[in-house]
Amino acid sequence: MSEQTRAAMQGVTRSMAAQSGEAVTEVVRHQRAQPSGWWGMVLFLCAEVTLFGTLLATYFYLDFDASRWPPAGIAPPKVVLPLVATGVLVTTSIPMALAARFARAGRRSPTAWMIVLALVVQCCYLAAQVLLFRHDLLQFKPSQSAYGSIYFTILAAHHAHVVLGILLGLAVLWHLTLRGLTNYWLIGVRGVALYWHVVNALAVLVVLTQLSPSL
Amino acid sequence: MATVVSPRAERHVDRLERIWAERPGLIGWLTTTDHKRIGLLYFFTSLAFFGAGGVEALLIRTQLIGPNQHLLSPQAYDEVFTMHGVTMIFLFVIPMTTGAFGNYLVPLMIGSRDMAFPRMNALSYWIFLGSGLFMYYALVSGHAPNSGWFDYVPLASKQYDPGNNIDFYGYGLIFNGIASTAAAINFIVTIFKLRAPGMSLNRMPLFCYAFLAVSFALLFALPALSVACLFLELDRQLGFHFYDAGFGGDPLLWQNLFWIFGHPEVYIIILPAFGIATSIIPTFVHRRMVWFPLVALAEIMVAFLGFGVWVHHMFAVGFATLTTVYFAAASLIIVIPSGIQLFAWITTILTGTPEFETPLLWIIGFIIFFIIGGLSGITVAAIPFDQQVTDSYYIVAHFHFVIFGAAVFPILGGMYYWFPKVTGRMYHEGVGKLSFYLTFVGTFVTFFPMHILGIMGMPRRVYTYPSGMGWTFLNLLQSIGAYVLTAGLVLIVANLVVSYFRGEPAGNDPFGGDTLEWSTTSPPPPYNYPVIPTISSAYAMWDKEDRERDNRRLDRGEGLIQLGHETPASTVQDAEYDEILAMPPHSPWPPVTALSLLGMFAMLLLHHYAIAAGFVVVGLLMLFAWHDKEVSV
Repeated sequence: MSEQTRAAMQGVTRSMAAQSGEAVTEVVRHQRAQPSGWWGMVLFLCAEVTLFGTLLATYFYLDFDASRWPPAGIAPPKVVLPLVATGVLVTTSIPMALAARFARAGRRSPTAWMIVLALVVQCCYLAAQVLLFRHDLLQFKPSQSAYGSIYFTILAAHHAHVVLGILLGLAVLWHLTLRGLTNYWLIGVRGVALYWHVVNALAVLVVLTQLSPSL
Repeated sequence: MATVVSPRAERHVDRLERIWAERPGLIGWLTTTDHKRIGLLYFFTSLAFFGAGGVEALLIRTQLIGPNQHLLSPQAYDEVFTMHGVTMIFLFVIPMTTGAFGNYLVPLMIGSRDMAFPRMNALSYWIFLGSGLFMYYALVSGHAPNSGWFDYVPLASKQYDPGNNIDFYGYGLIFNGIASTAAAINFIVTIFKLRAPGMSLNRMPLFCYAFLAVSFALLFALPALSVACLFLELDRQLGFHFYDAGFGGDPLLWQNLFWIFGHPEVYIIILPAFGIATSIIPTFVHRRMVWFPLVALAEIMVAFLGFGVWVHHMFAVGFATLTTVYFAAASLIIVIPSGIQLFAWITTILTGTPEFETPLLWIIGFIIFFIIGGLSGITVAAIPFDQQVTDSYYIVAHFHFVIFGAAVFPILGGMYYWFPKVTGRMYHEGVGKLSFYLTFVGTFVTFFPMHILGIMGMPRRVYTYPSGMGWTFLNLLQSIGAYVLTAGLVLIVANLVVSYFRGEPAGNDPFGGDTLEWSTTSPPPPYNYPVIPTISSAYAMWDKEDRERDNRRLDRGEGLIQLGHETPASTVQDAEYDEILAMPPHSPWPPVTALSLLGMFAMLLLHHYAIAAGFVVVGLLMLFAWHDKEVSV
């Protein structure tokens, strides 16, 4: 091997062959750039943020068009419960960030426990939001007015993203438990953590939009 | 492939052949994750849709060949012109450029052995195929979308279009958008991460810059279309009121959302054509592109500025003057990056030593039509003029010069240019030139008179017209042009099909090409390159010393990466060697997952929401099996 090639390949690893905590740590130590899976998740989230941007822009577009928002017969949304629920959801970014950190350090067990902790909170949040959604549906219908249409669509879109996040968390947990911490699933943990950070940030924007008539 | 120079090198190649061997037969095509095979699947599928869209175009032109014709009923005419637009935009140009050309060529040009996410790449194709079949089932079953390709409400609302026609459009485009979003992510990550070590961003071919710009534009433009279609279906299926003014909705919301996607879409269509032009021109004028950094920046600027001009499609709806003036000014600014590229192509040709072979002729045709379409584009950026010609044939003329003349001509030129690489055979040069002249004349005769007809007041989308309007002769001329154009296109297909069987062997590099794909065999092996190529410039194939060094490295067994289905990954900016990735081999899950999505959309259309949810669950369960054999070392 020429000196030039040797120098270029110094420290280059077959990253996907890392099948244990120690091997994963070694890969992390040598890696000079973010892995492909991480970039894939970043770009997917760019599309998702654009999608939510479009939904929220639609809300205000219809709001500016309307003479009264919400329309007559629909009470402005109650503030406390959605805000508290969102605050609780946002805290799950902490265990998810820690999970990614533990995974990079090659520590499978704490990684898994952090994901479990986040999943419990996320499931509680989802249950509370489903109840609130049902409660709102009893007050007014999406087919009643454009306000109802966009209100329920934004909430449903966000709840669907929470469901997807929970499924992603479960999938990562399943593989961590079954196969241990590999480099492949380290990228998975980091991707899911990133996903949750963005979904949590979107939750704040969604709840502020939802509550804007009452704020 | 670098020339095999010794028995030792041959042994290395044999090992790679065994590692990267594809499954034989139909199963191999169904389960493939090879970017070249997926590119070919995209090519043949989008070509078939091009044929269908072409037949629809001919039906339109035959209907309009004279006044008071009744080949098609008004209802059938609505379906045919709508499907023509939807097909050409969503099922032909985008999948042909990003899907076929991008898939086949981007990994080759950057010296990689595959796309970043091979299984997702396969999934993109199968979803695209599913969405195309979904929308064409509508045509076959007599329920094709019928409100035009931009599908304005309230015409497209349940009240005025109560059948399933529009639902095929709404669901079909959401379905199709999933494929394009996945493909866009895949291209960006591939270009960011899988460039051969040494191919820093300033050494990346302009073709790849164009595809990078397109992918970003797709990523940020498609959500607006998906949301617009979601609102449309919620309005139509569940009685929501996004677009219903009577309940606080707004029909203009559709127009805004559609064109926030729709104008970037124009650049999504044309940027790959720019990329193809910047590949063909240097090869046939024997010099590098002038102003390389400016052209790269201009490609990205066009994609970026395309997001700020959507209201110029809506000058006639009655926005405040201040709003329309802003968008008119923004539209005119796009002249700057477009002009940079145009003058760069022309200057490169004029300062080189051009050989007017078939591929370059198509690029000359493209430049001429891009100038005509660009100039008429400037006229419609002038608000009063636009208000006068809105919804007339003038607009049809403008966008066909841009979309057919400027976007499709490089695709046709690219077919000739890369035909020897893909098949290992040369096309017939004389027939190639004849097909160009026929298509060029046909295009001009078909679309140029539309400018005059538009100014004379002929509205677009009328299924027939009375005699005595003064439109008869020009319509007849256009229809004759359409037949000539069709003859040119048929001649291309005939030339390529016959050449596939009888063409002269092409060798690795029949044209003295400038980019890396010409260094490997024709057709390329499944692993693309036996040694990971050395890169010193954006014109890697013209760096002869590097290519000779690759041969020596192959002989020494250096830089082969042959422990498994592997490719190197590098850092994003400087492309320093970072890691060696194990790429997933063939898999049955992409087509099966796409099938479950097709089932979901079909059930949504039929209002069987519980069964649709069942298909989603099945699709999600498949994702659990998706990661099998992710490590093949």
